[in-house]
Amino acid sequence: MSDNDQKSVSRRKFLSVLGTTSAGAAVLSGCSTEKVEKLIPYLVQSEDQVPGVATWYASTCTECSAGCGLHVRTREGRAVKLEGNPEHPVNAGRLCAMGQAGLQGLYNPGRIKGPMQKSGGSWRQISWDDAIALLGQQVGAAGAGLAVLSGAPRGSLTGFLADFTAAAGGRLVRWEPFDQTALRLASKRIFGRDEVPTHDFAKAKYIVSFGADFLDTWGPTVENQRQFAESHGFSRDGGMAKHVYFAPRASLTGLNADEWHGIKPGSETALALAMAGVLLGERGIAAPAGAPSVSVEQAAEATGLKAEDISRFAKEFAAAQPSLAVAGGIGSQHAGAVELCAAVHLLNYAAGNLGETVRFGGDLDRGDGQAAFTALQQAMEAGQVKVLLVHEANPVYGTPKAGKFAEALAKVPFKVSTSLYVDETSSQCDLILPGLHALERWDDANPRAGVWGLMQPVMEPVYPNRNSGDVLLAASQKAGGVFAKFAAPSWEAYLKDRWAAMAKARGRDAATFWREALAKGGVYEPEAAVPVKAVVAGAVATEAPAIEGTGDFTLVPYASSLLYDGRGTNKPWLLETPDPVTKITWHAWVELHPDAAAKLDVKEGEILKVTSAHGSIEAPAYIYPGLRPDVVAIPMGFGHTEYGEYAKDRGPNYLDLLGPATGEFVAYLGTKVTVERLREYRKVAKTEGNPRQLGRGIAEAMPVAYAAKGLTVKEAATAAGHPPHEINTEAEVKALEGWREGQVGREDGEGRRLGNYAGEHPLWGMTIDLGKCTGCSACSTACYAENNIPWVGEDQVLRGRELSWIRIERYWEGGTDGEPVEARFVPMPCQHCDNAPCEPVCPVYAAYHTPDGLNGQVYNRCVGTRYCANNCPYKVRYFNWHAYARKAFVAPFELQLNPDVVVRARGVMEKCTFCVHRIRGAQHTAKVTGAPIKDGELTTACAQACPSGAIVFGDLNDPQSRVRQIAQDPRGYHILEDINVRPAITYLAKVVHREPAHAAPGGGEQH
Amino acid sequence: MAVAVEAAPSQPTQTHADVTRDVVATLAPATKGYYLLLFGAVGLFLIGAITLLLIVKEGLGLAGYQPPVFWSVFITTFVFWVGIGHAGTLISAILYLFRSPWRTAVYRATEAMTVFAVMTAALFPIIHIGRQWIFYWLLPYPNQRYLWPNFKSPLMWDVFAIGTYFTVSTSFLIFGLIPDVAAVRDKATGWRKTVYSLLSLNWQGTDNQWRHYSKAYLYLAALAAPLVLSVHSVVSWDFASSLIPGWHGTIFAPYFVAGAIYSGVGMVFTLLIPLRKYLKLEHMITDYHFDNMAKLTLFTGTILFYAYGMEYFVAWYSGNTFEQTTFFRRAFGPAWWAGWSMIIPNAFLSQLLWFRKIRTNLTSLFVISIFINIGMWFERYVIIQSLTNDYIPYAWDQMNPTWADWGILAGSFGWFGMWFLLFAKNFPVVAIQEIKEFIPMPRKRAGGHH
Amino acid sequence: MAKNTAGVLASFEHIDAACDTIRALRAKGHKHLTVYYSHPNHELEEACGHHTSPVRLFTLIGGLTGVTAAFAMQIWMNRDWPLLVGGKPIVAIPAFVVIGFELTVLIGSLATLFGVFLLSVAMRNKGVIYDGRYSDDRIGVFVPAGGAEAASVERMLRDAGAVEVKHAAA
Repeated sequence: MSDNDQKSVSRRKFLSVLGTTSAGAAVLSGCSTEKVEKLIPYLVQSEDQVPGVATWYASTCTECSAGCGLHVRTREGRAVKLEGNPEHPVNAGRLCAMGQAGLQGLYNPGRIKGPMQKSGGSWRQISWDDAIALLGQQVGAAGAGLAVLSGAPRGSLTGFLADFTAAAGGRLVRWEPFDQTALRLASKRIFGRDEVPTHDFAKAKYIVSFGADFLDTWGPTVENQRQFAESHGFSRDGGMAKHVYFAPRASLTGLNADEWHGIKPGSETALALAMAGVLLGERGIAAPAGAPSVSVEQAAEATGLKAEDISRFAKEFAAAQPSLAVAGGIGSQHAGAVELCAAVHLLNYAAGNLGETVRFGGDLDRGDGQAAFTALQQAMEAGQVKVLLVHEANPVYGTPKAGKFAEALAKVPFKVSTSLYVDETSSQCDLILPGLHALERWDDANPRAGVWGLMQPVMEPVYPNRNSGDVLLAASQKAGGVFAKFAAPSWEAYLKDRWAAMAKARGRDAATFWREALAKGGVYEPEAAVPVKAVVAGAVATEAPAIEGTGDFTLVPYASSLLYDGRGTNKPWLLETPDPVTKITWHAWVELHPDAAAKLDVKEGEILKVTSAHGSIEAPAYIYPGLRPDVVAIPMGFGHTEYGEYAKDRGPNYLDLLGPATGEFVAYLGTKVTVERLREYRKVAKTEGNPRQLGRGIAEAMPVAYAAKGLTVKEAATAAGHPPHEINTEAEVKALEGWREGQVGREDGEGRRLGNYAGEHPLWGMTIDLGKCTGCSACSTACYAENNIPWVGEDQVLRGRELSWIRIERYWEGGTDGEPVEARFVPMPCQHCDNAPCEPVCPVYAAYHTPDGLNGQVYNRCVGTRYCANNCPYKVRYFNWHAYARKAFVAPFELQLNPDVVVRARGVMEKCTFCVHRIRGAQHTAKVTGAPIKDGELTTACAQACPSGAIVFGDLNDPQSRVRQIAQDPRGYHILEDINVRPAITYLAKVVHREPAHAAPGGGEQH
Repeated sequence: MAVAVEAAPSQPTQTHADVTRDVVATLAPATKGYYLLLFGAVGLFLIGAITLLLIVKEGLGLAGYQPPVFWSVFITTFVFWVGIGHAGTLISAILYLFRSPWRTAVYRATEAMTVFAVMTAALFPIIHIGRQWIFYWLLPYPNQRYLWPNFKSPLMWDVFAIGTYFTVSTSFLIFGLIPDVAAVRDKATGWRKTVYSLLSLNWQGTDNQWRHYSKAYLYLAALAAPLVLSVHSVVSWDFASSLIPGWHGTIFAPYFVAGAIYSGVGMVFTLLIPLRKYLKLEHMITDYHFDNMAKLTLFTGTILFYAYGMEYFVAWYSGNTFEQTTFFRRAFGPAWWAGWSMIIPNAFLSQLLWFRKIRTNLTSLFVISIFINIGMWFERYVIIQSLTNDYIPYAWDQMNPTWADWGILAGSFGWFGMWFLLFAKNFPVVAIQEIKEFIPMPRKRAGGHH
Repeated sequence: MAKNTAGVLASFEHIDAACDTIRALRAKGHKHLTVYYSHPNHELEEACGHHTSPVRLFTLIGGLTGVTAAFAMQIWMNRDWPLLVGGKPIVAIPAFVVIGFELTVLIGSLATLFGVFLLSVAMRNKGVIYDGRYSDDRIGVFVPAGGAEAASVERMLRDAGAVEVKHAAA
């Protein structure tokens, strides 16, 4: 019964045994087989562990190579929540979905428990001493045959690996699939600097992206998004930057553009050069020597755009100072990527953006690139590599099968992996020395010049594994000889030495420097911008690169911000969080343009066979308007054959369709494919129902001109000649008065005098700025982490039973009869209505209204009539149809559970609580310290995570509060205002650079 | 009464002795066929019971619920049975107050049907909730937590309405049975006599007993009559008092009551036509009765016709996009088939009953009644399916029932059938005393009485 | 059963005969007759000349109790545990009407049944002999009488057309 659902949660077991006799009996019988433990009271407390009180540690995120700063919330010695470090220059306190899900990497059931050696094709556990001895002996014997394949550069460990391999004359290759080699090479070619520049989206007034998905996977996405929100988010005084996106497919970045143009793959170079040409003309600057010139007409020919449009882009780009053009994303990484990036460099140069929005000096080093990798592979094939150590890399999965890396790997006599999980590569190795998760170990990260992030063990390791640094140091001692010099007693000591050196270089005392760095999470120094001038070395080819193979469609990759290059696929949160663009969960798909689908007569969900010269894959079709009709897009990150139970058998691997990587980088775009119907169907596990608003005014938008005038949504609609929404009656209008003033629910007479309602209370409310929301879904994942929301799995999502308390709705506008397609994202948490329709219908008062305006849900009281969910106009109540917690929190996932939030039993309704536990916690602290809660010191998990800062939470009754100020913005509106339920959430209408697409009339579209 | 006697054209010409004899004859030992039916019913009931056990063990997820459809087959079946439960009390109480002569022969059977239908319906509020083991939290009982239920919730109204309706209709049935059981007692022998003696509460039919009895019966009828109308109104307010497009209609109370009586009488046909044949009651339950019940069906069916039409008209005329979408999809949406299996049998098929030939032809009546049952089940299904497309298009979804839904549905029919069969064989399904009321007693002096 | 009442029990087939007899007996001063018949019958009720049954009082009191209890319960419970739901007042009378009505009917009917039980079953005239045919097609008239009186009563009953007359000894 209900209690068994909590059985999996050891912390609660004790409580449930204390419960009612029947509950006690249930649990006792349930636990009878478990071993009896002697309870020891918590007498000796470590000073930083107070039971019931959270301890925060600063650390650094290692989910991707952006190196965001973390604040890790620990309770009773367990990391329970990751939040951004506000002091960190990269993410400034925000964190993306991938970062949030780092916890599921830490507590992943797929983690390896102790070192394993392969003998006779099967694994066997060995002791750490034997493992290290074995490694030392092998490394010692390898000599120049020692090679290390590591992931993207991290920090001191990368440096150590370099020294380590150099000592033996071996080689180190720093490789990751989503590197930015093309951009780096272009910088070298145009500016003579072999590095990746940093981009400043915050300053830019006009952003042109040539397939650089800076909100998905390109660069430090959290930073990009924050800066993008700053420039592109509307403000009455500052106006709003314009964002134009050129790529065959609209990624999340493309959906956030004011104009998306699906130009021919590979034609971006010509376009960029043509724009640069116009600009140089405009500004009367001579083109740098050797810079090719492309006429607007040629560009129009190449791209399929209108010539006048191209000149318009160029002029607008020139007019906005400073502007910013970016390129080099995975989505457009074709054979001509270097040319493209070079052209874009010239464009920025022509627009005078260098040193403004494009800066050199803070090298975002992303590794040695594909060429070095290929060289290593050849050495392996040639048998020159005796010992290969793979660290934080999964090349067997991450490189095209046609590249035959697995075969090369097999040729290496002794292969060692430090992977935490049995992935495609480590499973092929002879020895696995499972490392520690970033939250369990001492380490540092150096994502860019001037930024050094520290990692410290915030908890005991979940499994008896060891920090790879320690292992290598120990192994060096065992190996002796050339390795003997690596004599540091521990990795921590080694690290401290390096930091002591840093301190010395800065004339600081090592101890304090270290302590301060630990407290702040690292050392952050202003980047030293290096002035550059264009020295075009080598010409820039202007013609589009050849697309190899035959077929009607060009294959376009989709690298999602959730699964990234496939490293996210073993984390249920990232699989269950709907893809921001397609809203599909748990499985892969093939994207087709509606016209192409019509031509092939394909319906959504039909299994398609996509075949290239190198292989074929099968996946269900998804009809997506943000796509050229002559391309198909397939998401990357699926198709794992190892990497744990969650990653395995989830659709095909995009890379199976690609040819072997040649040259400096992998041309992810560059293959023609044929698409064939298999006449089999499956229901696509997507969370979207009807993708059209049907004129219901859910996701409002208004042209920037109107917004600047300070028009309200209704006024803007009328001004744009659209039919205004239903006129309210006098009574309704009266009832709606005073919302923005935060006077909601104040005059309830008797209701405000009885019981807890007596006296004055805060009125918690929220504003969500749709002009800033990019739909990245970080808030949703943060909510899962904060509120112990169980993931339900594919079969339940197919029945629409996911429990995502804050869902990101994505509506299409336009897209029909020639209108450009426009996406509108609406985060939809519980609206905490003051006239909440869910409350009065509950027969047992499980849903009721708290004095401070929250829509409370009492799980223990809920009997599960589900009437509240029926009566909720926003459909934000979620029901536990099964004991989901039992499945979702299998050990050791349950260690991540937030002790402040109850784990819901089967058969009860649950929903967004405005993080009531945080509110009560803050109120409690305020009571104890006597200091009233200051505005902004208390916020919800979603608002905390949002990289755009679109969500603001606070007290609507406080006239000074930020939420109150924003709620009074003329753009503010309430969804379904006419039914007068008085939601506590005010949305700010999205602002667009053109007339909002005409919404379909209500009765009109019935899909 | 006197008036009534003349009003009734085709009185079976029999003596009081015949009445007792014929009715008592229906209690003769049962045939194989009867036991076959009974085992069938019990079998179905067991299927339902097992399904319920699995649901309690695994969770409601076994059923086809698919948010935003948080209610579906269970609530549909609940309303269906509550509806069935309306014909009985209507015929026995309201027609009693109207002094309709034709109720006498049929009201006992319909009343029994009512009680068992409500017994079935009463199970569903327990089956359909998420934590069945604490269903009693819906009752306002004093508890150490000082918690009380929420009387503003239509579901609480339901609890009281169904509870009251069950109690009252049951006592009404038992009360009417007492003199008849006494009559059976006086014919019975052996252990059966003892049993019936106990059940008859030692009724002797003395002048004193009759005097209180007839008055009390009148008052009970007077109380039960408005109850009939109220119960389904309350059930309808489960929907009407929400704000779901397609649910919050002011027309709902009368619309549901009409529908309830319509479906109830439909079920009466389905049960009585075979029963009458099996128990050889042709000369007591005659065409005359069926004809009148058919007229009642026609009347309520026509009300439904109007209600359906009015729903669509209001949706169109309101100009409210939410209402319009809902009703458009009801007829032409993904679940159009359900929409039409509600409209065709209820609104159109009932109109066949304008023809006397059809009204008095038992075969046609029986066939129609089957369609009425199906149609009325779908009416509730369709109304509840309004949930598939309410305010937020992004949240729309369709639902598909699973084996668990059908298991519970089958179980409910088994449970109902089981009780009805047991009753029909062990208690007089025709009211002996009231039939006798319509048969003049022999007189010495010539000439009828005043 | 208590000790039998001495008397004469006559069975009639004809209703008019039965009614005349009853009237005659009552005229003669036989007040405590017991008349058996199988179904509600106006003629006989008139003949017995009872005044209206007091059972309606039970119905009335029951109903009033019901409605009062219902509103009292709802108002008290809502104020005892005051929770705001949907911005409605704590005591929302319109919402309480339904349960008010239901309890009126419930308690009303239960009280009525109780009344009947009290009046006609519990206060049954004990020790009077009975015949199974009275629930079928006969009318029975029992006249409490003993000794000589019994003989005269029997004669009178036979003249009135009783098809059968029995004597009950004390």
